[in-house]
Amino acid sequence: MLEIKNLHASVEGKEILRGINMTVNPGEVHAIMGPNGAGKSTLSNVLAGREGYEVTQGEVIYKGENLLDLEPEERAQRGVFLAFQYPVEIPGVSNIYLLKAALNAVRKYQGLDEVDAIDFLNLVRDRMKLVKMDEQFLHRNVNEGFSGGEKKRNEILQMAVLEPALAILDETDSGLDIDALRVVAEGVNALRAEDRSIVMITHYQRLLDHIVPDFVHVLSEGKIVKSGDKELAKELEKSGYSWVHDAPEGQTA
Amino acid sequence: MKQLTEITTPFGEVASAKTLPGSELGWLQQLRDKARAQFERHGLPAKKVEDWKYTSLWALSQQGFSHDAKAVSLDKTELSHVAALEDAYRFVIVDGRFSAELSELEGLEEGLSIKPLVDGLEGAQTMLGEQIDVEKPGLNAINTMLMHEGMVLQVQAGKTINKPVELLVISTAENQKLASHLRNLIQLEADAEVTLLEHYVSLADTEGFTDVVTEVKLAEKATLNHFKLQHESLAHYHIATLASKQAAGSHWHTNNISLGGKLARNDIHSQLLGEEAHVTMDGLYLVTGDQHVDNHTRIDHAVPNTTSDEVYKGVLDGNSHAVFNGKVNVHKDAQKTDSSQSNKNLLLSRSCEIDTKPELEIYADDVKCAHGSTVGQIDEQHLFFLRARGLDETAARSLLTYAFAVDVLQRIKSAPMRQALSNVIEKRLPKGA
Ligand SMILES: Nc1ncnc2c1ncn2[C@@H]1O[C@H](COP(=O)(O)OP(=O)(O)O)[C@@H](O)[C@H]1O
Ligand SMILES: [Mg+2]
Repeated sequence: MLEIKNLHASVEGKEILRGINMTVNPGEVHAIMGPNGAGKSTLSNVLAGREGYEVTQGEVIYKGENLLDLEPEERAQRGVFLAFQYPVEIPGVSNIYLLKAALNAVRKYQGLDEVDAIDFLNLVRDRMKLVKMDEQFLHRNVNEGFSGGEKKRNEILQMAVLEPALAILDETDSGLDIDALRVVAEGVNALRAEDRSIVMITHYQRLLDHIVPDFVHVLSEGKIVKSGDKELAKELEKSGYSWVHDAPEGQTA
Repeated sequence: MKQLTEITTPFGEVASAKTLPGSELGWLQQLRDKARAQFERHGLPAKKVEDWKYTSLWALSQQGFSHDAKAVSLDKTELSHVAALEDAYRFVIVDGRFSAELSELEGLEEGLSIKPLVDGLEGAQTMLGEQIDVEKPGLNAINTMLMHEGMVLQVQAGKTINKPVELLVISTAENQKLASHLRNLIQLEADAEVTLLEHYVSLADTEGFTDVVTEVKLAEKATLNHFKLQHESLAHYHIATLASKQAAGSHWHTNNISLGGKLARNDIHSQLLGEEAHVTMDGLYLVTGDQHVDNHTRIDHAVPNTTSDEVYKGVLDGNSHAVFNGKVNVHKDAQKTDSSQSNKNLLLSRSCEIDTKPELEIYADDVKCAHGSTVGQIDEQHLFFLRARGLDETAARSLLTYAFAVDVLQRIKSAPMRQALSNVIEKRLPKGA
């Protein structure tokens, strides 16, 4: 599904990612943990194609294609989905309009006709139940006036409607209270599938109590300094991130 | 003053004074003569006149427009594609001439009267010219000298007219370089209500000139929902004054949409003369290429307890130039005035230009006035978000442009009107398609 090889990236001349290696197979859930400023959002932005990030070395292969050669929309159309750490508010664009436009963009790439109006409404209603969102949110502008938790749920709603092959969730748990966290986690769990991979970025272990990952990686100063299974996250919870700085170069589990 | 039979204007046109409507009415002749004297003294506004600082009429004055139009016949099916409203009374002017055949003025609701200018002049003495200032730099004097066509609409006291009225002003390619000088008189008696759309459109790449003055007089508690859609060709000149006097409790809701024209200028003026009078001044201008659009609005809060609410938005592309000037005058005794004004502009290219200036003059102390103007570009974060959801860049940009403009449309209360205007605007700003 996704193969990241020796990825180096810098922002404004400053190197942030310093040689990331990671392989995600279909159906797997990977967690990336790490302290603030480690480069977690940078990695997700590079994967989604945001401007301003310069890849200086390495490559990313997604479903056999060189992901970094594609425009952001081409990545999205091919099934790469980024749930943003800070979802933006878009005045004047209703949620339902966005969902439909996004779904049709994917369908167009897949050679399908635009979604039928009734099928679309049924799909959206079904997926809204998954994230326990009220239908009134459909007619509100994207994220405008939403609470922090509502914005995060809205991201997961978009994911649920678009059914991506690779979902990257950037701190979807941060800023959520425990009930909201549970709702979001249930939504994500319901979307786990054999042909869908999920990369979860988080600062805290608590999300991993709800969405149990197959692999856990620790990112620090632009490198993956440790990889393991879900037990690694528990270890981190006990000892915090302070040790990662002392970890020897290139150590992986 | 000596009676000339021919009038020469800077537009190179010659009109015989005798052929103008109302030549038998002494008071109107006096008005026209006064306007001519005014025009002969001042001519066209020069750029050093503050209100015309950014808009030059020089090119307009070099065009050599003609005043005489040959009769044009349009068929009704063609008209149905041009009209904005499906279910409306329709007053149609083609190349500066009222067309009874194309108009839909049968079976007007009780209390509504609609006539061409020539039939409405008699008895208009207390109305015509009352709302405008002929001395003001601009074309009010020329319009008063030369006005030859227009719509006179009246609603009787207490009547709410259900069907909207569409004043459809069409320019065709049959009469190129034609100047039309139109005067509309809209008079609502107490507690009357009507919805009016002034719709200016070209059927081809007309190089004409539409000079129009619409005067509005609202008696106590009258409500006029007043829309304007200016959609003439990119070679057309359009200069308009829209002016009202509002009595106590009256509401004038204006919405002024400028899409067309090589040069379009609107002077919109409300005088709030009775307590509880309210004006909404909304507008949207979408310009591209070499278009120039200039909206000058002015609101006079002349008495206590009046309100105004103004939202103007502009989308500029290409080498276009837009001007917004919003004056709000709160007179000395106009306590408890509540006024808000905003002008927001979205620039889509590097070579377009916007000059925006809110001007508040407040002579009362107990007032609430908010105003602001912004100039911005498409937000890169918004753009990336939409692209990350699969919309290609062009679609994402046009969706964001539409989204920027849409609240001016959302402020329109009447659903059929909102739909009609949205349809036209979506053609210009494809909704992310
Ligand atoms: N657009 C940017 N401009 C400048 N510095 C940036 C930008 N994005 C990220 N950085 C820097 O890169 C580093 C990693 O940031 P980020 O990827 O957001 O970390 P994380 O998500 O792990 O907290 C930080 O030092 C941050 O200041
Ligand atoms: Mg981050």
